[in-house]
Amino acid sequence: MGAFVLALAGAALLAQWLLWLAPGDPVDLLTADPELRAAMVERWSLDEPPHVRTLAFIEGALTGDLGVSLTYRPGEEVAALVWRAGVTSAPTLVLSVLLAVGAGVAFAYIGQGWTLSRRAVQALSVAPVFLLAATAVVSINEATFYAIEAGWIARPSWFALPLGDSILKSALGVTVLAIGSSALTDVHQASDDELRRIRRSGYVDAARARGAPLWPHVLWNLVPPLTTITVSRTAFFVGGLVVVEKVLQLNGAGAMLWQACRMRDYPLALGLVVGAAAVVCAARLVGDVVRIGVDPRLRA
Amino acid sequence: MLLSLMLTAQAEGLRYAEDQAPGIVNPLFSTTMSEARVNELLFDSLYTDDPDLAAKPNLVSLSELSEDMMSLTLRLRDDIIWHDGEPLIADDVVFTIDAMRDDATMSTEAGRVKWIERAEATSAQTLVLYFVIPEPRPEEKLFFKILPKHHFDSSEVHRTHSFRTRPVGTGPYALTRYNDDNSITFEANADFRSDVSIPELVMREVTDKSYQAKLLIYESLEGLVRVLPRDLAVLQNNRKVELYPYQTNSWWYVGFNLERAPFDDVRVRRALSHYVDVEALLAPIGTGEILSGPFVKSSPFYNHDTRPYDYDEMRAAALLEEAGFTQSEGMWVRGGEPLRLTITAHQTLESAQEVVINLQSQLRGAGVEVDVEFLDEAAWKARIWRERDYELVLSQWSFDRNEDIREQLHSEGARNFGSYANPDVDGLLEEARLARDPHVKKTALRRVHRLAHEDAPMIYLWTLDSYSAISTRVSDVVIHPFYFFTWIADWRMR
Repeated sequence: MGAFVLALAGAALLAQWLLWLAPGDPVDLLTADPELRAAMVERWSLDEPPHVRTLAFIEGALTGDLGVSLTYRPGEEVAALVWRAGVTSAPTLVLSVLLAVGAGVAFAYIGQGWTLSRRAVQALSVAPVFLLAATAVVSINEATFYAIEAGWIARPSWFALPLGDSILKSALGVTVLAIGSSALTDVHQASDDELRRIRRSGYVDAARARGAPLWPHVLWNLVPPLTTITVSRTAFFVGGLVVVEKVLQLNGAGAMLWQACRMRDYPLALGLVVGAAAVVCAARLVGDVVRIGVDPRLRA
Repeated sequence: MLLSLMLTAQAEGLRYAEDQAPGIVNPLFSTTMSEARVNELLFDSLYTDDPDLAAKPNLVSLSELSEDMMSLTLRLRDDIIWHDGEPLIADDVVFTIDAMRDDATMSTEAGRVKWIERAEATSAQTLVLYFVIPEPRPEEKLFFKILPKHHFDSSEVHRTHSFRTRPVGTGPYALTRYNDDNSITFEANADFRSDVSIPELVMREVTDKSYQAKLLIYESLEGLVRVLPRDLAVLQNNRKVELYPYQTNSWWYVGFNLERAPFDDVRVRRALSHYVDVEALLAPIGTGEILSGPFVKSSPFYNHDTRPYDYDEMRAAALLEEAGFTQSEGMWVRGGEPLRLTITAHQTLESAQEVVINLQSQLRGAGVEVDVEFLDEAAWKARIWRERDYELVLSQWSFDRNEDIREQLHSEGARNFGSYANPDVDGLLEEARLARDPHVKKTALRRVHRLAHEDAPMIYLWTLDSYSAISTRVSDVVIHPFYFFTWIADWRMR
């Protein structure tokens, strides 16, 4: 727990320094009047050094008070904004992780070490997230518009991306994040290597000799390495959210962080960064618990 | 299957795009054009523009200017109702002015009322404004939005006040809800003094400007405030879209930092002005009018006798030689140092990249070494406006109906970050501000135009032709060049 808290405090301090180093502050966005600027800087304590502001933030955070938004949604509690955004992003994050793991394992299981399958997955995963998302949006919109104009289909309620909320948009976000964050490639590669090792192992031979199904043994032994890979990619998933949500206009934590940084909304940006750090730390914790639970040798 | 969910989505209202959703809906704290346009939907001002852009009474039924022009008595209309059903009263106007003037409010719009010494309500519907100096045409400055006093506890209003989440105005539309996708829905005000035809408006945030035109073609939007020049041809050929030209009071320029050598030397500034082929810079990005000074050509203050600097390499070379530069291996040098400059531009200024790159190419061809950099909004305002840490900037100024350039060209102007100072210009600007006779003001500002051209604190570039794009389902469209939605109540939608 101590390490968890230290990690969050470190993330908060690092984020505070980076925001401080970035040119401009929230007052710059609001006024050029020197007197008005001085009054606002004083009101928002922007003249205090980053480490002082970080200490104040940590002090408030320990009681659940992350401050209020300055420029993004003036006056709204940062904790409430972060929670709302997190709830919006959570399904995308979780589903994309599951998709990456599931698809990676499936490709490896079906491909069974074929070089072609590995190359196909790598080719799919090489494109950066923003390119995948933008290409998908343009392609789907153009194809749909063509079909509408040709009279083949009625105008769908979700048309056109990325406006509005729709299942299609959410599914696109999940898919792009799973593929574009390179997790699919990493999971597939790790699964492929592990499957080959597992299939050569003695207990699998024994199961084969008994005529028992192999998949329970194979898949159960995949869990520890998959957990390690997945946990190590969590930060990339969280970071990928920023781009996916920005391109697809999914109003989650990633898009909010982008706006908060652009608008120099220090408390909100800090709250979101600490939230993201908490997710990554929690993922590592869960990963450790899963590995210990699955592998009795680690309990010793 | 996935592509054709059965519900169709023909909108009943008008959906328009903004690059950025309003950060705050409260006229006391507006800083962006998207906020100004939303305010235009929700709130009213004492005076407004008629289609000829002349000031006409809006919330006012009668007005009387005192003989000494130091006070104005206003009688408000009796038929103005707030969105919450309460009537507009004189105290609302007095409160608005007091709130803007209150230092504790820290209103970003305080400058709009600094010419008013105080406001007093003399009856429920009558108030008197007292001015700091004589004001011959005060109605032209009474365009700030009026707020409902009964929604506030005092004139000290904070940005965080809950009014921003449930704004109440007297305008043709009321804010219905903030949606999860950052869009905002407005409903027609049933109590508005004229019929509002379009029942619903939706502001959609589409941060990618280049995609806004596509969404209009897809009929996922019905309106674009401003069309990118490169999208004009496509939209012109689309039978479902109508283009509406409008003239803004905005112009592009390349500004010098006069506190940095060698740009403190007017010969160097003029030389660089002669080295820039403005027409060649404009051509790739759109159409417009080349300018010679700090006003648009349609402005009454524009000095048509002052011509823009010609593209003239010989003249430019002569000026640089006068300033002590010599040519060495195709580059201009002075004291062993090459003439080198950095052009800074705003990241989000559309087409800025193209202009800057072309400008860099032109100046390099002339023997000037040029670097470029692009800044986001916060960095721009910190580096350029506050710290004045730059050499040349590419930017644009936009003005409302008053075209008040004092902030930009007066030596004490808050936005004169180039540090331009000419006592004659200061005097003329003051003369224009105090002038009771419009002709005197016009004469003074035309002289300012000439001096600002000769001193070349900026290379005045152009005013771009602006177009908005509206679906042909909408008719009777008249667009205000600054506020856009001033006459939205007259628009019709089938």
